[in-house]
Amino acid sequence: MSADAMLKVEAVNKSFGGVKVVQDVSFSVARGGRTALIGPNGAGKTTMFNLISGVIGMDSGAITLDEARIDHLPARKRIGVGLSRSFQNIRLMPHLSVVENILLGQHSRIGGLGELFAPIGWISSAPARAEAMRRLSEAGVDVDPDAPVAGLPYGTRKRIEVVRALMSQPRLLILDEPAAGLNPRETADLSTFLKSATADGLTLLVVEHDMAFVHGLCDHTVVLNFGRLIYDGPTAGVRDDAAVREAYLGARAATVGGAGRAA
Amino acid sequence: MTNATAIGAPMKSITTKALVVVVIAAVFALAIALGGRVIAQQIVSGLMLGAIYLTVAVAFTLTIGVLNFLNFTIPSLFMLTGMIAWGLREKGLLGFAGGWAWLVALIAGVVVATAASLVVERFTFRYLKTRHGDATEHAIPLVSSLGFLLIFEHLVILTLGSESQRFSVPFKADIHLFGLVIGAPQLVSLGCALLVVAALTFVLKHTRMGRALRTIAENPEIASLLGVEVTRVVPVLFLLTGLLCGLAAALFTVNYGDVSPFMGDHVGSKAIAAMVLGGIGSIWGAILGGLVVGLTETLSIHFFGGDSVEMIIWGLLLIVIIVRPRGLFGAVAVGKGKL
Repeated sequence: MSADAMLKVEAVNKSFGGVKVVQDVSFSVARGGRTALIGPNGAGKTTMFNLISGVIGMDSGAITLDEARIDHLPARKRIGVGLSRSFQNIRLMPHLSVVENILLGQHSRIGGLGELFAPIGWISSAPARAEAMRRLSEAGVDVDPDAPVAGLPYGTRKRIEVVRALMSQPRLLILDEPAAGLNPRETADLSTFLKSATADGLTLLVVEHDMAFVHGLCDHTVVLNFGRLIYDGPTAGVRDDAAVREAYLGARAATVGGAGRAA
Repeated sequence: MTNATAIGAPMKSITTKALVVVVIAAVFALAIALGGRVIAQQIVSGLMLGAIYLTVAVAFTLTIGVLNFLNFTIPSLFMLTGMIAWGLREKGLLGFAGGWAWLVALIAGVVVATAASLVVERFTFRYLKTRHGDATEHAIPLVSSLGFLLIFEHLVILTLGSESQRFSVPFKADIHLFGLVIGAPQLVSLGCALLVVAALTFVLKHTRMGRALRTIAENPEIASLLGVEVTRVVPVLFLLTGLLCGLAAALFTVNYGDVSPFMGDHVGSKAIAAMVLGGIGSIWGAILGGLVVGLTETLSIHFFGGDSVEMIIWGLLLIVIIVRPRGLFGAVAVGKGKL
């Protein structure tokens, strides 16, 4: 499987003030596959996401994208090498219109100054705008493209953010809890959309809480617990894995016990 | 925010803006009706002066709108254009240009001001901001731009002296229209200023560069993560700042024929008043504010004498701030979604 791995995380360590949040974690994300990164609260999955997206730096280890090291690139340069992300709390520009927000995803593809000053907002047939509109309708978002995003429902904004991430034409799309805050229907729609968006070979990595969503979407799952890798295999096998069951049940028992002592 | 207010808000703000413009126009129309030709002449001069203020006010509002800091070097960029232009002619460096020396001098002045603005970007904004991060986000660029203001002023005083100087142009073309005297350069200034600002509005609204600037205004960190090259876009903002100040100064110099190392302070303070009056971060607000300040200045001189100008303009500003804190055209959230 490592032969066609797109993203490789190798022996990564990260501590915050002496607390080891990620310990010696290695896994890979298969090219063209949909991989989930899950774990109980405090497992280090958000830290792992931040290490991959580059928002924080790691203490040791290596992260490679198509065999090229990306761990030394600052976060803002990672979109340029084909790594596009969404945010756990939606980070759209509230005063910009829907289509402008989506076109933002395309900024990493801008070449020269000429492109920066081309009046694309004025020409409704501009290819970039056409691409934005096409992706918007593929995502099943039916809103006025020129309305500001601020007033739109949460689920719609969440999907617009994914569309924006797709506009950079990434090799690898990483999503930070895409289903968080969505109702079951919106979650199902998002899952369908992500399947179709990755149908042409786009590689996907999601960090997620919602197990049903992960089961429906991802073929491969990586589980972290207390900063360590405890499972790396097919999603179908997650529920039957002894270590995973213990992590989830054990974590819950520990939380309950802790709360009991505090009270 | 609900959908209804999101759609309703722009409509409401357009009517408010139209109302503001109509009220102001009506006040001055009334003044003309009561005062006749003398007042009409003052109003023409006021609009021309306002064109200078509004150009500088747009430079201020653009920086505040996108980067959220008051760029104190703006008055010195204005001054640099005038003094460099005068200095080049005075030192006899433009003999080759013959009768066009004044124009070559002014263009050179604008180029120097723009270059100076880019130096300020490099050393106030990029270097200091990236080094010191968020805690000092607004203070560092503000204080260092103030430092550049003093450095530029005193560099000019050291090299060209602190005296006020004459900058003459080899033409004097007044247009007589309906019995009013309108200076041709003044008319050109108004046209130029409005044209530049209209072009700027177009760039902000319709180009990727404009979208990048508006995105940085909303959230620079996320903009950068999305692939907006902040270090490439921000210099463009400072370039525009330099060009706007240079243009305003060139028009001012041709119109009034005076340059001094302190010429920027006067215009800069009026432009700040104009910006706040119109609404911080709003380009059309800066335009309206600039014209109102220009008109108020000439009318104050006419009715109450030159010493009353500062008191009346800043008094008017304070009243507007009390009655309508966000300025005439300003939106509620300063610095966001304005441009």
